[in-house]
Amino acid sequence: MLLSSIVAMPFLAAVLLLFVPDRNRLGVRLISLFGSGYSLLASILVALRYDMGAGGFQMVENHALVPNFGIALRFAVDGWGVSLLLLTGLVIVAGVLASWTLDDRSKNFFITLLVLVTGVFGVFVSQDLFIFFLFYEIAVLPMYLLIGIWGSSHAVTEAGPFKYVWRLFDIGGREYAAMKLTLMLLVGSAFIIAVMLAMYLATGQNSFDMQVLGAYDYDRSLQMWCFPLCWLGFGALAGVFPFHTWSPDGHASAPTAVSMLHAGVLMKLGAFGIMRVGFMMMPEAAIAWAPLVGCVAVVNIVYGALSAMSQRDLKYVVAYSSVSHMGVVMLGAATLTVEGWNGAVYQMFAHGLMTGLFFALVGLVYGRAHTRHMPSMGGFGLRMPGVATFFTLACLSSLGLPGTAGFVAEVLVFIGAWKSLHPWWAIPGILGAFITAVYVLRASRRIFWGEGPAEEFHDLSDAKGVEWGALVILGGSIVLFGFIPSLVLDLINRVTPDYLSILTQLMEPR
Amino acid sequence: MTPIEYALIALFVPLAAAFIIAVVAPLRYAGMPAALLSVAAALVSLGASLALLVQQIAQPDRVIHEVVRWLPNGPAALAQVGVHLDGTSVSMSVVVTLVAACVQIFSLGYMADEPPAARGRYFGYHSFFIFTMLLLVIAPNMLQLFAGWELVGLTSYLLIGFYFQKPSAAKASVKAIWVTKFADIGLLLGLICLFAVTGGFEWTATLSKGWATAITLLMFLAVVGKSAQFPLHIWLPNAMEGPTPVSALLHAATMVAAGVYLVVRADPLFAQAPTTQLVMAWIGGFTALFAAVIATVQTDIKRVLAYSTCSQLGYMVCALGAGASMAGYFHLTTHAFFKALLFLAAGSMIHAVHSNEMSAMGGLGRRMKATSTVFIVGALALAGIPGFAGFFSKDLILEAVHEAGMFVPWLMLIAAAFLTAFYMGRAVFLSIFGPFSPTSEGAHESGFSMTGPLWLLAAGAVGIGYFGSDFAALAGGTYHFHLGMSGILGTTCALIGLLLSWLIYGSHRLSPQAFRFVAPIAWLARSGLVDRFFEFAYRRGALVLADAVGFFDRYVIDGVMNWIGWSTITSGRWLRRIQTGNVRDYVYAVVAGAVVIVFWGLSR
Repeated sequence: MLLSSIVAMPFLAAVLLLFVPDRNRLGVRLISLFGSGYSLLASILVALRYDMGAGGFQMVENHALVPNFGIALRFAVDGWGVSLLLLTGLVIVAGVLASWTLDDRSKNFFITLLVLVTGVFGVFVSQDLFIFFLFYEIAVLPMYLLIGIWGSSHAVTEAGPFKYVWRLFDIGGREYAAMKLTLMLLVGSAFIIAVMLAMYLATGQNSFDMQVLGAYDYDRSLQMWCFPLCWLGFGALAGVFPFHTWSPDGHASAPTAVSMLHAGVLMKLGAFGIMRVGFMMMPEAAIAWAPLVGCVAVVNIVYGALSAMSQRDLKYVVAYSSVSHMGVVMLGAATLTVEGWNGAVYQMFAHGLMTGLFFALVGLVYGRAHTRHMPSMGGFGLRMPGVATFFTLACLSSLGLPGTAGFVAEVLVFIGAWKSLHPWWAIPGILGAFITAVYVLRASRRIFWGEGPAEEFHDLSDAKGVEWGALVILGGSIVLFGFIPSLVLDLINRVTPDYLSILTQLMEPR
Repeated sequence: MTPIEYALIALFVPLAAAFIIAVVAPLRYAGMPAALLSVAAALVSLGASLALLVQQIAQPDRVIHEVVRWLPNGPAALAQVGVHLDGTSVSMSVVVTLVAACVQIFSLGYMADEPPAARGRYFGYHSFFIFTMLLLVIAPNMLQLFAGWELVGLTSYLLIGFYFQKPSAAKASVKAIWVTKFADIGLLLGLICLFAVTGGFEWTATLSKGWATAITLLMFLAVVGKSAQFPLHIWLPNAMEGPTPVSALLHAATMVAAGVYLVVRADPLFAQAPTTQLVMAWIGGFTALFAAVIATVQTDIKRVLAYSTCSQLGYMVCALGAGASMAGYFHLTTHAFFKALLFLAAGSMIHAVHSNEMSAMGGLGRRMKATSTVFIVGALALAGIPGFAGFFSKDLILEAVHEAGMFVPWLMLIAAAFLTAFYMGRAVFLSIFGPFSPTSEGAHESGFSMTGPLWLLAAGAVGIGYFGSDFAALAGGTYHFHLGMSGILGTTCALIGLLLSWLIYGSHRLSPQAFRFVAPIAWLARSGLVDRFFEFAYRRGALVLADAVGFFDRYVIDGVMNWIGWSTITSGRWLRRIQTGNVRDYVYAVVAGAVVIVFWGLSR
């Protein structure tokens, strides 16, 4: 029952919140913290209880839901799922702490946030494709409300020759961002439904059980058109080029906790879906399409990094860096090597922590400086040394410095790339890491270093009270999992070779 | 205690100190307690390293290699971490901890005027530096070495930017990490190649000739960055924005020498790649000469020393290129002592006159006797005057490069020896002797916490050269001092350089005007062409490309998305007009449709 309680508890907390008056601020926050904190602790318990000797899927739960169509609540986790449960738990707890001071309709905000995270937990434990998809949608849709209601509009206005275009489309506005994000992800979902039904019908066993669907040997032609649909469908959420443009606008307009959760965890749902459904269930097509997936991933890495470098709005920098880093995940997946796959899943974990920390810090800076326009900032380090320290830490993980979780993931992926059939992938990958170093350290210097702060930033202050909680949880995890990666990597690595062996068997005859 | 335990104490006590200083905010804000904690940790680390050295001298051949799994990969391990204790790593860790302890004690006095919170932060960084540097030094494989390598880069970034409110310091620290990170692309790629080819990160691997050349060349790129070789030396002069003790420890004695240490460690790999060695010898020789030329025209004493560091690192790299890793490593050790000494003494002088300019220091010798004495000792050691440490190691390098038959690099080193003596003589005559400048008139000698470490380092700068044979035994080679043709030539050049500097800056018998014919070289050296090139590449290349990509993303990629959205809405708006709600319109449509169908049917 542990897994279903992880999924249920945030939802129950959300239901409970309905009966708490909005003016009871502390009560609302404590209930939210309890709902998310329980899931974090239970996720840690799952990680500890996971039997490394047995491997595979464990803690299986099975409740029939719609027997006529073979739909059931099938919950189970493997090493990958455990690591991503942990990530989700860490980020949501930090997210609740980071939104502690939110004032506007905070009860509704926390309810929506908890419903969203229910969906995320659900995806990582579901072993039924239909339920998997259901939770996926539950995770994606509340985003529209969260951005549309609590988001921010036009933090940095466009000045260039095309500013009239921006005005025409209301680019940078929160309604625009919310609509764009939701529509693009829904188009992706449409692809996923098609793939799901095609697989369900092809197996003909009246079951959405992912074990059953995964074991079936699909027609090569079916695989060949299903895989790209699956890649694009989930890829829209994973920020795959060129369907990544919802991410900068969406993440920049979203409130702090939502950006943290969305960039930190939700984008991983996409990558996780591609690996779970695409690579593992359609191995033949995966081998055939891997070169394209890898090349696009390489484009993501370099293109995302260069785009981030050209931004002046701090939140856009971080959002584009997510696009770049999700490219590392996809590159790892496309290498079809143990190192690459371990690295891909570890990068999901590491990037979630890192980008969660980034958005929490950006939120703190924005809340105090009331601007996100980097060139007008400077010298903030004097008044907010703690924020500056954690920002540096996030930068270092972002550029893959040893001792942070980001390094482990990137080294694994690059080794995987070098050992794959396309060794050259490693070169743009490493180049992307260097460009990351250029733009994140430049951003850090612009905001926190140098003379200042200017007169207009009179109410700058360091993080206070519970806000430290968010920073310490995420920052501490980055260092902990950077120095002792085996805490999580052992779990991931326990199952990766088995999953990959399906693909390598197919590759050998060639 | 076992050697492993000693090594772990040396490694983790400074880390613990850094962690406590970072986490316990009241301690950090108090300043002095944090400083004392850091110094205590450095001394413990030094003690443990010395204990290891004593053991190692008793058994010079002892090699302890102990690893634990770090990264799992399938059933096997992808990477291990651990300790590797042999003569090289043990002696290097003593050098690191000794210089670090001296610098930290010196900093107690030097940084006394800083606000307490800043001092706490400063010492926290220093403790962390000892950990990272030792992590690199006692690494059992290239991956851990790389981890330490990147982390010392981080401490360098933090310490250069210690005065983060100063825009120039902020720029310098970012520049340092950018340049070294750029170079580290090579090391990371080299390591990945190494892993892909051999399945491990061991430096003892045997490679085919092509792979050996490729991998070592990639690694050498990182060495060029870290050890400030031409053309990636550009960050080192800017790194002088950090506090002077930091320049002494990181940017002279230990961190920049990490590049040399890497090649010494990975000697078995480099020995398989003669092409790489040739490249190293040329780049090392050229850097030695090039940086020495620039050093002769600097007026800022820290910049003279910074370019001198580039130049001396060039000597070491050239020696490594000649396959004489022992000679290079010996020079690394002697250089660590006398260059740390020079920087700290310069720091003491800067502290007294509150200026880096040598013109502000004139006549300091009469006000600061102790500091001036040790500065002169350091200068003589650097110049390679017989009897001082630098003489022995430099002689060994010249000999080795000559024996390797690398004539041009050898010639460049000889020329650099002349220039080294010249610019150090110039620095001494300008800042210590001569008439008083207005600022040095009221200067007074620094306290004991600053002069004490100076005397200790001065003893090293004189004495360490006589331990060549013990040193060679630790490094697994042999060494007997004998003065060959190269040594005599190099020493003669150095003496001439010293004499010339005395004639121009000491006794003023020669006017600098007599050397106007070198003006173009001096201009070239001052103009910083390499700097400008990289600046141009960054501003006109990288930033423009980034803006182009950003524009493309905003208006082309996103433009298509927006166009799809816009056209959907617009077409909906147009099609809506069909639904007029008038029955008459619908009847017209039905009739028109019927007519079309009838005609279409007839025409078939």
